[in-house]
Parts: sequence; structure tokens; C-alpha cells
Amino acid sequence: MDDTIIAILRSGTPLIYVTLAGVIAQRAGIWHLGLEGLMIIGACATILVITATGSVAIALSVAILLCVLTSILFWFVVEKLKANQIIAGLGLTGLGLGGTTFAVEAIFGSQAAVSAPFGLPRLGPWFGSFGSLSILVLLMPLFVFGMWLLLRRTRFGLRLAATGEHPFAARSVGVRTDLIRLSALMIGGVLCAIGGAELAAGSLQIFSTNMTAGRGFMAFTAVIFGAGHPIGATFAALFFAIVGALGIRAQLLFGDRVPHDLLLGLPYIATVFGIWLSAKLRGGTRAISNFGELRDS
Amino acid sequence: MSERIVAIVRALVFIVIALALCGIIFSIAGYSATQMFEAIIEGAFLRNGALTQSLRWGLPLFITAVGVAISFRAGYFNIGAQGQFYMGAICAAFAAEWLNGLPPLIVIPICFLAGMTGGALWSLWPGILRLRSGADEVITTLMGNFLASLVLIYVTSGPLKDPSGSGQQASSRPLDAAYRISTSYGLSPTIITIALLVFVSMWLLVNRSAFGVLSGLAGRNPTMVTWQGARLMNIGLASFVVSGALAGLAGTIELMGPNGRLASGFLPTHGFTAILIALVANMSITGTAIVAFFFGGLSSAALYLPIIAGLPSSAIEIINAAIALFITAKSGFVDRVLRLGRRGTWTTR
Repeated sequence: MDDTIIAILRSGTPLIYVTLAGVIAQRAGIWHLGLEGLMIIGACATILVITATGSVAIALSVAILLCVLTSILFWFVVEKLKANQIIAGLGLTGLGLGGTTFAVEAIFGSQAAVSAPFGLPRLGPWFGSFGSLSILVLLMPLFVFGMWLLLRRTRFGLRLAATGEHPFAARSVGVRTDLIRLSALMIGGVLCAIGGAELAAGSLQIFSTNMTAGRGFMAFTAVIFGAGHPIGATFAALFFAIVGALGIRAQLLFGDRVPHDLLLGLPYIATVFGIWLSAKLRGGTRAISNFGELRDS
Repeated sequence: MSERIVAIVRALVFIVIALALCGIIFSIAGYSATQMFEAIIEGAFLRNGALTQSLRWGLPLFITAVGVAISFRAGYFNIGAQGQFYMGAICAAFAAEWLNGLPPLIVIPICFLAGMTGGALWSLWPGILRLRSGADEVITTLMGNFLASLVLIYVTSGPLKDPSGSGQQASSRPLDAAYRISTSYGLSPTIITIALLVFVSMWLLVNRSAFGVLSGLAGRNPTMVTWQGARLMNIGLASFVVSGALAGLAGTIELMGPNGRLASGFLPTHGFTAILIALVANMSITGTAIVAFFFGGLSSAALYLPIIAGLPSSAIEIINAAIALFITAKSGFVDRVLRLGRRGTWTTR
């Protein structure tokens, strides 16, 4: 039982951090399909900098800095150049996946994986069998709660909601919607960097190319599934993590009967199921693809 | 007319911006940006045989991109071209495996049929989920891509595994030479004929048929199309199926032509590039053909990047992604919305 919970927390924590980034972007009216790209940039930067400098603090700062800078680029393209959010987001993801592959190839040759000598600080023996988890797992509920506070209990959160739901009204009372969106995306960049760091350095201490394997898109689905609410989206992300952990379990149990590669697809099937269910529950009237286009300028 | 020229110029400007951004990134990483551009231009257009190689990469991309354009015109962000491409190749490979030994004149058409059916079916389920339940097709088709590449890994290391293959990359048994429609060089009269057929039939479908008019309208204003008495459901499903079938056709061509076998994770960026082509061409069929040739050049240049500029071949991925980041900036979809009030002629071509 402990093993399963550890596996869920291990795969769920990076997903939840990235989901929070998606929540804040969605609240600001941006459908953020670049989460995957930001996440892998965070993961890659963390491992490479740990290997180069031996300091986790520097590694995290570099990862955060890179993700925030990339987020600013995304904001500029989407907000200032009025690019289509979906395509620009996919471009950002491609930039992250291609850029990290490129970086690894440029530094290490044709090698596809880099391992760091050590990862993020662990919880330690005081937590018993959970001691092998990183401290970011313990901080995760705080981040979720903090996000809820930020969105629901602050002036900034209110302006953010206004920006996302009715930008015209927000502007008419003097809210700088472009700056609100910028700050939302920058906060999202920080969260994606943390999620990526946790993914790469939380337990494995390895970066391999394309290691995010669609987690950014799963986080995006969790946002839709959770109706943009931080706590709802967190539970949606947790659901995906549980399905993933069950998939690993199922491999151990039925590995000889069901092909292993197909069990790996369970989280993706769960994601499709999630998007179908949320469309059923809330009616899929406001499809994301239309939203990006009909947004007023 | 002039508006279309404006759109093309704008797309070119943003491609230049994207290339400049890549140049800056590569210079920071310590490579020479000028050498990179040299490698691209030389590899795509100037070297001996470079033009035929651009055509070799461009034709399958063109076929997939036409499918993407048809579904985008109808207002559906079907970004699952990659998965449909894989599924097409997988189904065709199964057909070839089962019919092995029969005369090529029977086997090849059946393989093509199987490939197109596979692609169409892999596009149909997101279409049904979208049109019946409103489940967003962006996510479902994306997940379809991931699932299809898992199926490809499974098929190449399971049912169709080549027992004599090396452990490096799982792949299927090579097709019998009689069933191949081109050599590994990748260009043959058959492939060119297929591409021409696709061009003519899709041009007619888009520009000279009720489906073309209605799906173009549905992309701009679905409510109006419903009021006009057209079945949005049928138009939508048809555009999903056509785009999937075309991606499957491209997958079949890659399998039975240049590749000759199914390898896990082959051409992983095909679908994404096809989406870019459709967007740059502003969903026009003729435009898609021209732009596909350009991106085919980029793909064939990927081979020269390591030789001339010393860059890893993944540099092409970055270039494509940077183009994707900028290509819709103030063009294409946004223009469509901006121009809605005045007139909407631009999608008819």
C-alpha cells in the first residue's frame, strides 16, 4: 500500500505543480498548451546545472529563470502579436522538446540521457518509508493552498478572473489586462520549472530527452477537468497519477498477458476519458479552440 | 487578391523572424548561424539532387498537410495527424504481412485501402467525441498521437517484429521488393501520381463542391450553417475522416515507398510539420503544395546540418517549433476573425 501511495505522489507531484501553472494561465484567459515545453526546460536545466555546478539552489534558480524567460516570450507572441494560443503553445512545446534535445546532443554528443550525481533534498528517515520522496512533495499542498488564496482571496486574483472572463470589462475599469496576463504566465513559468525539477531530480536524478511524455498536456486536461479551480484541478491531476500508478501495478500483475507498451497508454486513455467526462458534465459549449479566436482584441 | 498577398508576405516575415531567433539561439550555443543558413539552403535547393530530395520529403508532407487544412477549414483543430499517419502505416503493414505472396497488383491497392482506413478510423473517434459530446478535439487528438506511437512500439516489437533485426531499434520485416512503390531514394512516378491525384481531387472537393463551401462556412460560423439547413454533424465527421484518411495515405506511402519497413518512432515530427504547412499556406490547397515543397526542403536539409554546420539534426525541430510559435501571429486565424465582419473570401481558395 505504501508503495502505491509513494508511486502516486512521485508521479503526481510534478503533474500538480504544472497543473497549477495551467490553472493560473487559464484564469487569465490563456489556454496554455506550452506547459509541456516549459516543464521539460525546467527538468533539463535542473539536471544539467546540478551536474555542472553541484548546487541544487543554483540549478533551481536557473531552471526558474529559463522558464520565466520562455513564458515572457510566449506572452509576447500571444498577447502582443495576437498569435493563436493553441498553435503558439504547441510551438512553445516543440521549442522546449527540441531545445532540450539539442542542448543534450550539443553537450554530450548522441547520448539520450544525463544523470546527475544527486537530486533535490529528500524528506529523510524521519518520514519512514516516505523518506525517499523529495521535499517538494511535502510543499505541494502548500502551493495548492497558496494558489487558491491567490486566486480567491486577493485583489490580484479578482483582476485575474476579470481578465480571463471579460477582458473588455476589466480594461474599462482600468485593469492592465496585458500585464495581468504577463504576471500569470510568469508565475506559471516558476511553477512549471518546479514541476520539471521535481520530475527529473525528485526521485530519478536523470534527464532523458522527451521525458515529460505528454505530462504537460495531461496537466492541461486536468485544468479543464477541474474547471479551472486550483483544488479541483489538483484532484484531477491526482486522478491521472493514480491511473498511472495502477498501470504500473497492472504491469506487474498482468505483464505476461497484456502487452506492456499498451498498459503505458493508460494515462492517455484516462486523459481522453477525463476530457470526455468534463464535456459531458458541463457541456462542451466553450471549446478551447474557439475561445482563442473569439477573444476580443 | 491583394489581401492574400498581404497574408503571404506576413507569413514570410514571421518565418524570417523565427529563423533569426533560431540563429540567435544557435550562436549563443556556439554554432555559426550563417553556416546554418548555408546548410539549409544548400541542403534544400542547391546541392546536386537536393531538389528531388526536397520533393521526396515534401510529397508525403503535402498529403498530410492537405488533410490538416481540410479539418482546420471546417473549424476543427485536428492536430492528430501524427497518430493518424502512424495508424495508416501500421494498418498497411499488417495488410502487407497477411497478404504476403499474392501478386503486387492485388496487394498494393489493398494496403493503400487499409492505410487510409486506419488513418480515417483513428481520426473518427476524436471526431465523434467532439461532435456528439463536445470533448475538445485538441486534447483527444493529441492523446491519440501518444497512443498511436505506443501502438507502433508494440507492433514493431511484438506482432510484426523482425526477428533478424538488431536490438537498436525495433522494426518490422522489410517489405518484399515487389510491393515497394519506390526505392529507398524515395521518389517514383507512382508517388508523384498519387500526390497529383490528391491535389486535383482535394482542390475540387474544397473549391468546387458543396462540402467545400459548407465546411469553409462551418469553420467561420457554425451556427449559420445549421440555420441554412446543413448537417454540421455530417460535415464535421466528414472533415475528420478525410483528414485522417489523407494522413493514413501519407503513412502508407512512407511505409511502402522510401522506408520499406515499419520502425518504432519513425518520422516523429511529420504531423507537426504538416500542421505548420497548412497554417503557413492559410489552408489553401495550392498554397499547401508550394509550402510543402519548402518544408520538404527543410527536412532534407536536416541531413546536411550535421555535415556543414556541425549542428545536431534536432536543430530542424527547433526551427520548425520557432516557426510554429510565430506563424499565426497576426495572420491566419486571427485575421479570419478580424475579417469576419467585412468578407470571408480568403478560405475559398
